This record gives sequence, C-alpha cells and structure tokens, in this order.
Amino acid sequence: MAAGPYNYSYIFKYIIIGDMGVGKSCLLHQFTEKKFMADCPHTIGVEFGTRIIEVSGQKIKLQIWDTAGQERFRAVTRSYYRGAAGALMVYDITRRSTYNHLSSWLTDARNLTNPNTVIFLIGNKSDLEAQRDVTYEEAKQFAEENGLLFLEASAKTGDHVEEAFLDTAKKIYQNIQDGSLDLNAAESGVQHKPAAPRSNQLNTDQQPGKEGCAC
Amino acid sequence: MSSKSTPATPEGGIETSQGSSNPLSRKLNKILETRLENDKDALEALKALSTFFTDNNLRSRRKLRGDIERRSLAISEQFADAFSVVTDQLDSINQDVEAMNNSCQDMTKRLELARDQTSDLINKTTDLQKEGQRLDMRARVADAFLAKYQLKPEEARVLRGTRDGQLQENFFHSLTRIKQIHNDCKVLLRTNQQTAGLEIMESMALHQETAYERLYRWTQGECRSMTGDSFEVTLLHCKAMEALQDRPVLFRYALDEFGTARRTAMVRGFIDALTRGGRGGTPRPIELHSHDPMRYVGDMLAWLHQASASEKEHLDALLRLASAQSREEEIQEILSHITEGICRPFKVRVEQVIVAEPGPVLLYKLTNIHKFYRYTIGQLLSKEASLLATLEEMEEFAQKVFFNALNVKASKLVDKVELPPADLGPTGSLTQTLSLLREILTSHDSSVVSMDTRQADFAKILGCVLDPLLQMCSLSASKLNPSDMAAYMINCLYAMQTTLSLYEYTDQRLEMLEAQVDAHVDTLVNEQASFVLTRVGLLQIYSIAQQHLTTEGPLSSVHGMDSSSVRDGINRFDSFLGSPDSFTMPQIKLLHSTTVREKIHKRAVALICSAYELLHTAINHPANDYTEPGSIVKRTPDQIKSLVS
Ligand SMILES: Nc1nc2c(ncn2[C@@H]2O[C@H](COP(=O)(O)OP(=O)(O)OP(=O)(O)O)[C@@H](O)[C@H]2O)c(=O)[nH]1
Ligand SMILES: [Mg+2]
Repeated sequence: MAAGPYNYSYIFKYIIIGDMGVGKSCLLHQFTEKKFMADCPHTIGVEFGTRIIEVSGQKIKLQIWDTAGQERFRAVTRSYYRGAAGALMVYDITRRSTYNHLSSWLTDARNLTNPNTVIFLIGNKSDLEAQRDVTYEEAKQFAEENGLLFLEASAKTGDHVEEAFLDTAKKIYQNIQDGSLDLNAAESGVQHKPAAPRSNQLNTDQQPGKEGCAC
Repeated sequence: MSSKSTPATPEGGIETSQGSSNPLSRKLNKILETRLENDKDALEALKALSTFFTDNNLRSRRKLRGDIERRSLAISEQFADAFSVVTDQLDSINQDVEAMNNSCQDMTKRLELARDQTSDLINKTTDLQKEGQRLDMRARVADAFLAKYQLKPEEARVLRGTRDGQLQENFFHSLTRIKQIHNDCKVLLRTNQQTAGLEIMESMALHQETAYERLYRWTQGECRSMTGDSFEVTLLHCKAMEALQDRPVLFRYALDEFGTARRTAMVRGFIDALTRGGRGGTPRPIELHSHDPMRYVGDMLAWLHQASASEKEHLDALLRLASAQSREEEIQEILSHITEGICRPFKVRVEQVIVAEPGPVLLYKLTNIHKFYRYTIGQLLSKEASLLATLEEMEEFAQKVFFNALNVKASKLVDKVELPPADLGPTGSLTQTLSLLREILTSHDSSVVSMDTRQADFAKILGCVLDPLLQMCSLSASKLNPSDMAAYMINCLYAMQTTLSLYEYTDQRLEMLEAQVDAHVDTLVNEQASFVLTRVGLLQIYSIAQQHLTTEGPLSSVHGMDSSSVRDGINRFDSFLGSPDSFTMPQIKLLHSTTVREKIHKRAVALICSAYELLHTAINHPANDYTEPGSIVKRTPDQIKSLVS
C-alpha cells in the first residue's frame, strides 16, 4: 500500500444533511468509492466515510458524516453538527418538497455549527432533467441570498460530485489561510497535523522529497 | 681511363694479303671488314687520340707509341694514387667493424651472463605475481563475505542511533540487513564454516536485540506522546509497528502504550467537549444543555460515536503495515481499552440525569437513544467493549426507572380511585394517563430503534399502563347502577381504544378492549329495550306473554292480560313509534362513540321488534282467546320493523 494517503496535514469534518431519499448516502459513496449505489437503504442514524484529497498542495483527510434524513432521526443527527467544518446540504431537484425544507435544514445548520462552517448547497439527481421540479436559477438565488456555495450534481453520473466536496475543502482551507478559522479551537472541525517535524520525530532530511512511497 | 691503345696500326694496309688462306690476308680481311663506326671502343680511343696527336708527321708517328704508353702510365699512376686512399679508408672501416664485432661479442657474452644471473629472479617474480593474484582473489572473496555477513559501519551507526534517541528512516534497512545476515548464516552452518557462521549469528543476534530494544523505546516514547487531538501517525510509526511484529511482546507493549495514551486523550477530549466547547464558545460546551436531558445525553452519545470512529481510524492507520497476521482482534482489544476511559465520566452524567427522574416520557426516550447508540457504536467496537457494556447498563437503568415511574403512576391510579363524573365520561386521571401513554408511544414511533425491540417494548408498556387503568375504571364504576356502569365503562374503554388505535402492535389489546365493550353494549341493549317497554307499559305484558304456557289456559284470562289492558299498552307503543329518539335512555346519549350508540340503538330496536312480534303472535293465537285480535294489534311485526328502522 502506498504510504502517501497517510501523510496528511489536516482533518476536515463534514456533515451531509437533507431530506430522506435526496441521495446523501449515494453522494458520499460516489465521492469515496467512485461508484453509484442504485439501491441504497435508508441510513439508520449516522454513517461515515473518509477520503484524502489535496488542496493547494496540502493533503487533507475528509471525515464525512452522512446523516439519516428520516424525521425520527432528527434528534440524533442534530448532535453531529457540532464541530463540522463543512456542511453539505442536499435536496433533490426532482422533488420540490425537499427543496422547500431547505430553510429548516439551514436553520439547524446555522444554529448547531460554528459561524465559520462552510455550507454547500447541492441539488442532486441532475441526471433526471426530464423530471426537474426545481429550477437551477431559483436554487442559485436561494444560495446567494443565504451565502451558500451551490452546485447541481448527480450521484449517479458523478457529475459535480468531486467539485462539491473539493470546493468546500478549498473554502475551509481558505478560511484557515485568512485566519478566520481558528485552528486551535478544539471543535473547529479541523484538526491540524503540523507539517514541521516535532522534536522527537523522524529527521526527514535524510530522504528529501521521498514522502509517501517508501514501501 | 679506358684509353688503352687498340691493336690496330696505322700502317697495316700497306702489306696487302694475297690469299684468304694466308694469315695476313685473313688479318687484312678482318681489318677491312671491321666497321669502325660500329666499334665504340675504337671510336673512344680515336677520340682520345685526337686530343694529343695533333701533328701527323713521322716523328710524331714514331713517338706515338711512347706517348701513348707514357700517358697510360700517368693515368695508371693517377689511378693508383686515388685508389690507395680508398684502400686506406677501407682498412680503417675494417678496423672499425672488427672493433664493433669485438664489442658485440663482448656484449653477447655479458648478456648471456646476465640472463643466466636473472632467470632465477624472473621465476621468483612470476611466482610472486601468481601469489599476488591469488591473494587478490581471496581479498575479494573476503570483502564479499564481509559485505554479506557484516554490517557496514554506517549501518551499525544507524542502529545505535543518536544520543537523543531519534530514529532514522534507514534504521529499518539495517534491521532488515541484520535479519538477512542472521538468516544467511544458516547457509554457513551447512558448510564447513560453522564456526564463522555461529559467531556471526551470535553477533547479529546481539545487534538485533539492541536494535529491537531501541526501536521499542522509541516507539514507546512516540506512542506515549500521542495524547493530543491532532497527532500524526507517520510512516515511521507504521514501520516501527511493522518491525516490532517480530517481537510480539514488545509489539503488544507498544500497542498498549498507544492505547493508554489515546485513552487519556479521549477522556480529555470528552471533558473538554462537555465543559469547554470550542474556543469562543462555538460549538457550545455540551454541558450547557444539561437542562435538556435528550440533547445533553444525545450530544454525549454522538460525541462518543464520532470519537470511537476516529480512534479506530487511528489504530488502523498505525497498524496498516503490521499485517503479518490479522490484527482485527488486537485492534478491537485496544479500542476497548481506549474507549473504556470515558465510561466513568459518561456514566456519572447519565446517571445524574436519570436519577433526577425527568418523567416517564424522557426516561423512555433515554432508554431508546441508548439502545440506538449501543447498536451504532456496536458496529465499531467488539461486543466485549466496556463502553458497550456501559451503554447497556445505562439503557437498562433508564428503562428500569422508566417502568418504575410508570408503575408508580399506575398504582397511584388504583390507590385513589376517582368517582365517575356525572357525564359518565373518562375521569381526569384516565385522560392524563392516556395522554402520557400517547406521548410514550409517539416517542416510540419516532424512535430510532429497530422494529423488533419496539414490539417487545410495546407489550410491556401497554401491560404496565392499561391493566391498572382497567382496574381503576372497574373500581370507580363499582358503585354505579348497571346502565351507568355500562355507559361509563364503554366511554373509558373507548378512550383507550382511540388512543391505542393510533399505534402499531396494539391489535391484541384492541381486541380485548373490544370484547369488553361488547359485554357492556349487551347490557345497554337490554336496558334500552326494557326501558322502552317499561315506558309504554308493555314490559309486564311482554314478560307474562313470554312466560305463558298454553297448558295454563288462554292468555287473555291471565290477570292484567285482558283485551283492554293489552290494547292500552299497544296503543302507547304507538307513541314510541312516533318518536323513537325520545325514548332513548340518557346513559346511551352520554356515550362518546357514535358507532356504539348506533349499534345499541339498532340492537335495542330489534329486541323491541321481536317483543312486539311475540305479543302479536300470542294475541293472534286462537288458544289465547282474544276477541278481535286484529283490533288489538293493528300492525304486523314487519310494519313495525319498517317503521322504526
Ligand atoms: N437518478 C438518480 N438517482 C439517485 C441519485 N442519487 C441518489 N439516487 C437514488 O435516490 C435514492 C435515495 O438515495 P440515498 O442516497 O439512499 O438517499 P439518502 O439521502 O441517503 O436517504 P436517507 O438515508 O434516508 O436520508 C436511491 O434509490 C438512489 O438510487 C442521482 O444522482 N440520480
Ligand atoms: Mg442515506
């Protein structure tokens, strides 16, 4: 196994929220496995997945918590917002009701996360253009009014899935660079792994530029 | 110098020859035949002669011979002179050559001598060269041997490490080398180099021990320092664990060290999340919500879930190279150890919440959320993990307190029985208890636990609440008259039915309630029928007619059954037919359920109709001896039926 993926400098915690059946689990699966799960059972409570990405040359591990959309789990899933650095808020472009519920999801997200949490709105199932029930423009406007990043994506074709996850990370990273995200805050949703070797650590100058493939 | 005189004489032609046989003539002929122009020598001679023989006179002709001889002599002398120089020079050359020859011979002799003297040396040299090559070969073999069977100084240095205990990347290379050498020695042992093999093995074993000890020290130190939120599992750590696999004891110690460090870290993280939250207060500390038990406990449980998942990831990362065997069991063991630390602080807090008796509904929700997380976290940890045991313990505790609370409520119901209100509706305590039940069942419906567990819980909860409720209702109804009792009971049962019918898994209970309702409905049907018959004064007449036997004589002769009495009754029955509703018992009007009301009404009417039919038949029966029965019962039973229904 390549050692590369383990050498990351940050862990970002994400949460995926939205009504049941909008495709949250499928988006996560598509992002972590690059596959579409056609018959995905309803999520029970909360599940999680990870993937390592690279932003501006920095390796970042995403720890993604996929929540259940079913109402009965609302109380449970609310506890997972704390300390999320990114929140992906998903609706289904073919079901208007899932779009109409966004404001309630947004309220939860705003109340239960940090002010710095990056919220990304995803209109999923963009492959089902014929059944479209929510226009791109209105969703775009909703996103702008609420200061959200926005994309339409398809967990089925994989369209824009990478972008949604990566753009969120870029924005978080940018917040870190700006200093607007305080890394020392215990529950900022970001854990920093110092890039510089600590005193009791491997002296890396022995093998410059060799990181990540020594086995 | 070739101007020698020719034999020809100038006077030769005078003495002519006479015959060819004569020598003279022959000679002459020969001369005549001579072709002077073709004789080069003669021409040369003549040419030379012409240079000095200028005057052709006798004297000069006589002197010619002497002149020629003199000239010849001079030339010869000149020649001899010139040649003597050459001779001299040749002599000198000869001398030189002889001298050279001598010295060459001398040299040859000396060379031969030298050769004789050096051949020994050359032999020696050749021998030495051969020896040299042989030694060179041996040196190379020795080098190769050393390279294969000894550590390079650099490698040995890396193994010893630096004074500050740092570990370098190539440490593992050296370690592998030692292992390799140790292994290769087995080949040596099979040859006649056993001593060397044994010695090298021994020294390698020694190296190995120090190396492993150092590696363990380092790993231990590293693991010990992994107590932060953010620590890094580096490639070096992974390699260290991989290498330590060869020393299972050290491997395990290092792993334990890691476990202990992470355990401490987890407890600290938990306490921080509880009491400090994020910097600047977002997210807020969990304890800030301790007034809201569900949120408080839910947040704690979610935190535990996420932390457990992260710890598992850390462990997987640390051991990802140490895959000589399946590490699942060890990972689980360490994970249990890590998560064991937070059990106490968690338990203390949950117990506080439960002991504060937040009411049955909350207790029930607490039970369920523990059940949910026991399942969810159970997917990460092994069954033996203390954390799971703690979750189960808290779940059971909450459940116990929940049922206690329910039981207490229920026994209070039975202890102080309320009298039924005047409207015969459910008592306050019944409505309250039912709304509590509703809340519990609703929270159950929206709960996060699986169907099976829900069903089992339902039976228990229903038993716990409904049985005492029924008991209470019966007790409070006990002092009522039958109709009131029936109406009151039906109302109470109906209230329970409506509550239960909203939920799953209540069919059995509903059936039981229905049966009880039916019993009370029977009572009311009878009461209603008698009520109507009494009001029209036919009850007496009906019961006599019903009990009358033909053997007792005609019915008309029985007291009170004469034509006029019967006619009066039947006539008053018409008033019922006119407005049947005004003949409904007040108790029936008080029933909450319209369906039950209608059911009773129908069945009572049917009962009344059959009473009328009985009377009709009896009066029309000739044996009963009524005169003009048609004037007494003017309507047929069918007419009655169609009138009232
Ligand atoms: N055509 C299409 N179908 C999709 C897409 N994403 C998800 N689905 C389907 O939508 C259904 C629900 O997807 P899930 O990922 O389970 O939805 P969820 O949001 O996780 O639902 P909960 O776990 O109940 O909250 C599944 O049957 C998927 O096959 C998409 O991009 N295109
Ligand atoms: Mg899902």
